[in-house]
Amino acid sequence: MAIKTAHEVRAGNVILVDGQPLVVQKTEFSKSGRNSSVVKIKSKGLLSGSGSEVVYKSDDKMEVVVLDRLDCTYSYFADPMYVFMDEEFNQYEVEADNLGDTLGLIVDGMEDKCQVTFYDGKAISVELPTVVVREVEYTEPAVRGDTSGKVMKPAKLVGSEMNIQVAAFIDIGDKIEIDTRTMEFKKRAN
Amino acid sequence: MQCSGARSPSIALLVNYRFEWVKQVMVMTAAVAWAIFCRVVDNFGDIGVCWRLARQLHQEFGLAVTLWVDDLASFAQIRPEIDPTQARQQLEGVLVLRWDTDFPPLVHAADVVIEAFACEIPAPYLAQMQARATAPVWINLEYLSAEDWVEGCHGLPSPVQGLSKYFFFPGFTKRTGGVFSEQRQRALQLAWRDADSAQFLVSLSPACPQHLAPALNISLFAYEPLALKQWLSVLENSSQSIRLFVPEGRVLLAMKDLDLTAGQYTGGVSRRGALEIIPLPMLAQDDYDRLLLSCDINFVRGEDSFLRAQWAAKPFVWHIYPQEDDAHRDKLDAFLVRYLGHQPTPALMALAAMMQAWNHGGDLSAAWQELVAGRHLLQEHAHAWRKNLLELGDVATNLVRFVNSKVK
Repeated sequence: MAIKTAHEVRAGNVILVDGQPLVVQKTEFSKSGRNSSVVKIKSKGLLSGSGSEVVYKSDDKMEVVVLDRLDCTYSYFADPMYVFMDEEFNQYEVEADNLGDTLGLIVDGMEDKCQVTFYDGKAISVELPTVVVREVEYTEPAVRGDTSGKVMKPAKLVGSEMNIQVAAFIDIGDKIEIDTRTMEFKKRAN
Repeated sequence: MQCSGARSPSIALLVNYRFEWVKQVMVMTAAVAWAIFCRVVDNFGDIGVCWRLARQLHQEFGLAVTLWVDDLASFAQIRPEIDPTQARQQLEGVLVLRWDTDFPPLVHAADVVIEAFACEIPAPYLAQMQARATAPVWINLEYLSAEDWVEGCHGLPSPVQGLSKYFFFPGFTKRTGGVFSEQRQRALQLAWRDADSAQFLVSLSPACPQHLAPALNISLFAYEPLALKQWLSVLENSSQSIRLFVPEGRVLLAMKDLDLTAGQYTGGVSRRGALEIIPLPMLAQDDYDRLLLSCDINFVRGEDSFLRAQWAAKPFVWHIYPQEDDAHRDKLDAFLVRYLGHQPTPALMALAAMMQAWNHGGDLSAAWQELVAGRHLLQEHAHAWRKNLLELGDVATNLVRFVNSKVK
């Protein structure tokens, strides 16, 4: 068991609430008032399977279950399961629901080393590296002159239904870095 | 006096007001003992909001309310009847208890426990909450915000310490907890007349003459705005007379630091060109409401006075509480999006520009001139906005309904 603040909890973590293990599917951090903040957590009971939404102060302490993890790579989609494979070619199926926001970054051919988490021998979640690189399939034409990165526009990623806000200077075909903790555009990849 | 003071009460407002009475009588609750914990972090917003809520829950819903306050001296500033040396006292039917560091161990937990603005409930009291046969309804009363995410968090549970705490977010939509508003305040607004404004402003300061000469009356309550010096200079060089009422507080200190009261601050008026500055003592809450109703334009700050200015339905400029990482910028923008509406008029755009400059610095002269020129239009908008607020339902009523839905 490890202790994390609510702000440190990530999709894929398993938290203990009233003794029940919940797999975190999504977290949303918001600044409330006077420098305090809250974290909304969407989760699913590992045993019950039922979903729930809760909210915590961002500095609230939470018990996080330390689970077995394996380095894997994404292999293929076998509806409705996403299949990952470890270095010894063992395959593990993960439900789409348990991928949370990271689902939008799971694309065919990706080579990112992911961490698959297990509870009672079952693969329950996948954590991507902190930064992943994806290609832009479509976005409005780049705005020349603005290199500040402050003006944003939506972009669709290759192999994904996901839209992400990117800097105005990004073009179709550009590769971009995405922070998987916040699911936000970071910069253009070299 | 140049006066755009209170209008005659509209039939719609009157009907709405009567409806509110009936509605609140109908909102009864089985949870009769409520406790509110208030930690005064800075300024008067914490205690201001908690006191209003405590009094309203008692007076409008007949609840037994205990208000725990860690800083009675601050409370006494807005309610002089409070004696900071007394650990236990009654005020308008509310039991006020001093929240000392060494919290007594055997205080019975109430049916409903409210921690205001995420203050931590003292451990001995929390133990009593856990020991109850029926768990109390535990509420974390959050800050008012116009941001969209508030709707998604309002009313959600937070399982902690073997209990469920619920986050209750005031806000500007029906999917939030609404905004603070009390019957007494609505009654005051309904009864307010132009003549009351003139009389009240004269009564405020011994420095005011018996009959006020025509002037634009402005109230000023703020932190230390970046644009303060520039704005006062604009007022000083204005083509019309301006009377600036400044209750005691941080902005008055900032003015003194800048020597902007011309060294004449002895409770008297200082004059600089077209500008008269009238320092005031810290006003009791009801008198501050009257000041807002009496002035043509109000400068407010934080949460409590910000909301009171909206109820006063006068043009106002908000100095938002500055936060780390500039989080207050998003909050100001979110409010302006709601307040301005889809097609803001030039006067509203000027108001928005004035608020941005007031909070973030920059040249405000043009925005201010346009705001003053368009203030009658802005007042009409403020009346329409107040009507919208009435439809949201007030925090206390929404809170009682919410608690009822959680009582087992």
